[in-house]
Amino acid sequence: MDTDALLSYNWAIMAPEFTILGVATLLSVLDLFMGKNTSRRPLLWMALAGVAVAMAFVFAELDTDVTSILHDTYRLDFFSKAFKILLLLGGFLVLLLAADYRKKELQEYRGEFYYLFLTALLGAMIMASSADMITLFVGLELLSLSSYILAGIRKKSGKSNESAFKYVVSGGIATAITLFGMSYIFGLTGQTNLFDVVETLQEPVLLEHSFLLVFAFFMTFIGLSFKIAAAPFHMWAPDVYEGAPIPVTAFLSVVSKTAGFIILLRFILLTFIAAAGIDRDPLLVQVQPYVIVLAAATMILGNLGALRQRNIKRLFAYSSVAQAGYILVPFVSNSTQVFELIWFYLLAYIVMNIGAFACLQTLTRDAGSNDVSIFRGLFSRSPWLASAMTIFLLSLAGIPATAGFAGKFGIFMGALGPEPGHYVLAGIMMLMTLVSYVYYFNIIGLMFFRSGGTGGRRISIAPSIGAVLVFCAIATIGLGIMPNIALDFFFGQFDVNEFFMNTGHNH
Amino acid sequence: MLQNAWLIPLFPLLSFIVLTAFRRHTGRLAAVIGLAATGASLLMALMVFAEQWQGNSFKAEITWLEIGDKIITMGYEVNPLNALMLVIVTLVSFLVHLYSKGYMEGDSRISVFYAYLGLFTFAMLGLVLSPNLLQVYIFWELVGLGSFLLIGYYYFKPEAKAAAKKAFIMTRIGDVGLFIGIILLFWQTGSFEYDEIFKAVANQEISQTMITLTALLVFVGAIGKSGQLPLHTWLPDAMEGPTPVSALIHAATMVAAGVYLVASAFPLFEASQTALTTVAAVGGATAIFAASIGLMQKDIKRVLAYSTVSQLGYMMLALGSAGYTAGIFHLTTHAFFKALLFLAAGSVIHAVHTQNIEEMGGLWKKLRLTGPLFLIGALAISGFPLLSGFFSKDEILAAVYADGRYGLFVLALIAAFMTSFYMFRLFFMVFSGQPRSKQDGVHESGWTMTLPMIVLGVLAVVAGYVNTPWFGTFLNDYLAQGPVELAHEHHGPLWIPIAATTVSLLGILLAYLMYAKKSLSRDWLSRSFPSVSDIIYNKWFVDEAYEATFIKGTKAASCGGTLIDRYIVEGAAEGTVSAVQLLAKSGNKVQDGKVQTYGTVVILGLAVIFAVVALTGGYFS
Repeated sequence: MDTDALLSYNWAIMAPEFTILGVATLLSVLDLFMGKNTSRRPLLWMALAGVAVAMAFVFAELDTDVTSILHDTYRLDFFSKAFKILLLLGGFLVLLLAADYRKKELQEYRGEFYYLFLTALLGAMIMASSADMITLFVGLELLSLSSYILAGIRKKSGKSNESAFKYVVSGGIATAITLFGMSYIFGLTGQTNLFDVVETLQEPVLLEHSFLLVFAFFMTFIGLSFKIAAAPFHMWAPDVYEGAPIPVTAFLSVVSKTAGFIILLRFILLTFIAAAGIDRDPLLVQVQPYVIVLAAATMILGNLGALRQRNIKRLFAYSSVAQAGYILVPFVSNSTQVFELIWFYLLAYIVMNIGAFACLQTLTRDAGSNDVSIFRGLFSRSPWLASAMTIFLLSLAGIPATAGFAGKFGIFMGALGPEPGHYVLAGIMMLMTLVSYVYYFNIIGLMFFRSGGTGGRRISIAPSIGAVLVFCAIATIGLGIMPNIALDFFFGQFDVNEFFMNTGHNH
Repeated sequence: MLQNAWLIPLFPLLSFIVLTAFRRHTGRLAAVIGLAATGASLLMALMVFAEQWQGNSFKAEITWLEIGDKIITMGYEVNPLNALMLVIVTLVSFLVHLYSKGYMEGDSRISVFYAYLGLFTFAMLGLVLSPNLLQVYIFWELVGLGSFLLIGYYYFKPEAKAAAKKAFIMTRIGDVGLFIGIILLFWQTGSFEYDEIFKAVANQEISQTMITLTALLVFVGAIGKSGQLPLHTWLPDAMEGPTPVSALIHAATMVAAGVYLVASAFPLFEASQTALTTVAAVGGATAIFAASIGLMQKDIKRVLAYSTVSQLGYMMLALGSAGYTAGIFHLTTHAFFKALLFLAAGSVIHAVHTQNIEEMGGLWKKLRLTGPLFLIGALAISGFPLLSGFFSKDEILAAVYADGRYGLFVLALIAAFMTSFYMFRLFFMVFSGQPRSKQDGVHESGWTMTLPMIVLGVLAVVAGYVNTPWFGTFLNDYLAQGPVELAHEHHGPLWIPIAATTVSLLGILLAYLMYAKKSLSRDWLSRSFPSVSDIIYNKWFVDEAYEATFIKGTKAASCGGTLIDRYIVEGAAEGTVSAVQLLAKSGNKVQDGKVQTYGTVVILGLAVIFAVVALTGGYFS
């Protein structure tokens, strides 16, 4: 690769990533030069501005055709744009949460928090835009390493340390498994570029090694499912979520999970779409029963686990495991709908879950406890907060007229739609939704039907949290009543062929 | 007017939003806001009904969601059935709003109460206006939410909290069935629209098995909402809510939604004999089962609750016997007289501050208006001649008989007997004789409470005349304009109304003998019912007869019903709960906080998958 080739690339398409990278670098330098006692608040505004500018760049790129540079290690297609919007939206909202997080506790490491947050986001964005195993892995690790530190950012808290430690160890195992799987694929094809991998996999010689390919599928699938906290890689979630500060928990359960689904979609669908499994049946059809079992197990473990939790952060950890199970359902049916269903559900999930975490953060700080009883009598103490939380809980439970319902409904229909319909899986999803009512409505019951709580005093809501609450509540209801707003946008831009289109790269 | 029908649900919604937003500032204004909103809805509903009466229907919809090539719409429609429902719902809701102004006087959370009422009314009206099953389902859930909030309104009472939760979970079980039924229908017909589904059914585009299956699943939803066997247990518990709520939700409107759903989807049910038989059998069994439990209850509202379950069973029985008009007719009359009974019961509770009928008695003279109004309601529900319940019950019995379901016909007659018996047991225990406990400062309620009762009282008397064998079958002709083909009007043999009247009077008589004769002055009764008192003169004969048969018989029946209820139905429900809890417990055991375990689980999971793949993939063969 010479300088001319480098200069000939259309670098402009990487503008969102450059923005985040630039702001992250700037923040780290500024942090060094700022006095020890200077407020780190300006860094927050810069981080927010950076995310907003990156978002603006993504929107400006919407009409750009599929482009790829650097030998397809960086792609700009609608898949990457649509999912980057989700990442940046989630990132922006989580930063707003962090703006209010116990000011005193975060004082000493405020600076780190912001630029580590941005590098994590950058990693996720790279994953959305890459079609090469090496860059995908680099993005994944950038996200992971930054998140490990974020989980342990409350240096003096034992819980936070424990959380970070467990996260590192589990993440290490996941990385090892993923890499091992990827090495199989590289070993079989000699390629790292996913489009080349797809082509090479068609060679007759490789069909004899389809067994290894199936193994590679499971290793990468399970390794990558660590990020989305799906079974059997879900157990770290409650422990890590519990110890991490709430903005980080929100980041892990929403943005990082979105990134996990992005890499799953990109890597698994692209690599194995045309691959043959054992006996030359399509591989993705062959592994379907296993994916069904994993999705079902995730839903069951998540929902049943949440039933007995009294710690609200653990409860939401299990709830987020269950939600990951729902989002895995579209993977099972090999239809092109998988993109729209997952994209829409993730969008709904971002607004409802971050909204819920905004409430949690306000309440846990107010009460100084993580016990579920902090919701007692919330409606009489703070009706607006209680109403907002109710909206988010109803949406998480999938009650009609909320975004969660529209998303779940689509997934449900998607599972039954193509022949043969996955009745068992849809049935389990329905049943587990029913189970989830118990713990979601338990919280609603506490808010409305219990008195007491912390001495009946009113709760003050910080402006940044208020903004998050209002935005998320409106979006949750709006997407529930008019899901078409989001879906029209998606359909107006999305072309499934783009995802599989091999462009501008030379052999 | 019909084009503007969509505004009807919006008024209560507006009231809900305003009352929630300004709950700290509305105070006494809350009732006014609620009344204005439901009043506006009532006016519009009446206008829509008047226009609909002339035979106009209307439907409008917009695209809501596209899934693949399937288009899902949202909209509203006005047809004969739902125009009638609109009037019933808005009228009862309006009256309950008015009544609550008096009943809930002094409650510090009055604006919350009115807000919930508004939310519920909005959802119920939305449900009624829905032109497709998906929209029905959405409002169906919202209605459940409103009911949940209102049952738990007295949240400081643990029973109320438990009841709210139970109601929500129990009806959800039915809703799952309904949802699966709706989805199946969608995949069979490609639409949620009633019209499209009926067309597909008529053109035999769906297999017979599928029709039966989907109809039964939809019926499961109706069972949950309408408190039919075996999902009825939540309804009596739901009486923990404020009494006006019981009148509105758990008597007149929401619980009738199950019946309404079966009626709206009637062409689907008609296409399957199995489905109709199931509906009829469940309805008939519920009618007699709930009535038998009602015989022994001591809480005034619980008697009425079991009575509601039983009457809803009647309506299902009618629909299952192809008596479409009969079912709707009874739904209408029942809405009036049962709401009346609940409001009157509320007035009694308001006066004596207890719900236990053992502690009441002798209230006839003290509650000059409530007493006669309760009596009207009791007579109407018992099928006393020339009151509304008489005509609608007669219609049902005729339909069941015409359909050749003689076994169910007998059951229905027995249930009618029990109904009049327990209603008058209630009446005599509450109003006749001497007070059985200290009653201080008992006085009649204010006009806001009595006026709604008077309106309902008038309706409970005259509502029956919309469909009689003598004056004309207006209701039947009116409903015949709708999507349901009404084959014929059932006018059974003359002996049916006579038999019905006889059992009803026998029930009243028995109740009198048991609960009033010892303590009630004879001449009051002979003035009111001169003919009855003559028969009663031979009391020793009847006394001995019922000592030997009825008391033991009814006790056994009632005990049996209660036992089944307590041990089998509740047992099954609790068994499921503890099974889930147990699973959850064992799942959490693995979650021991050790990161080694977590890693092991992952590797084990992977190993199991590999082993299964290797074994099933023939790697070793």
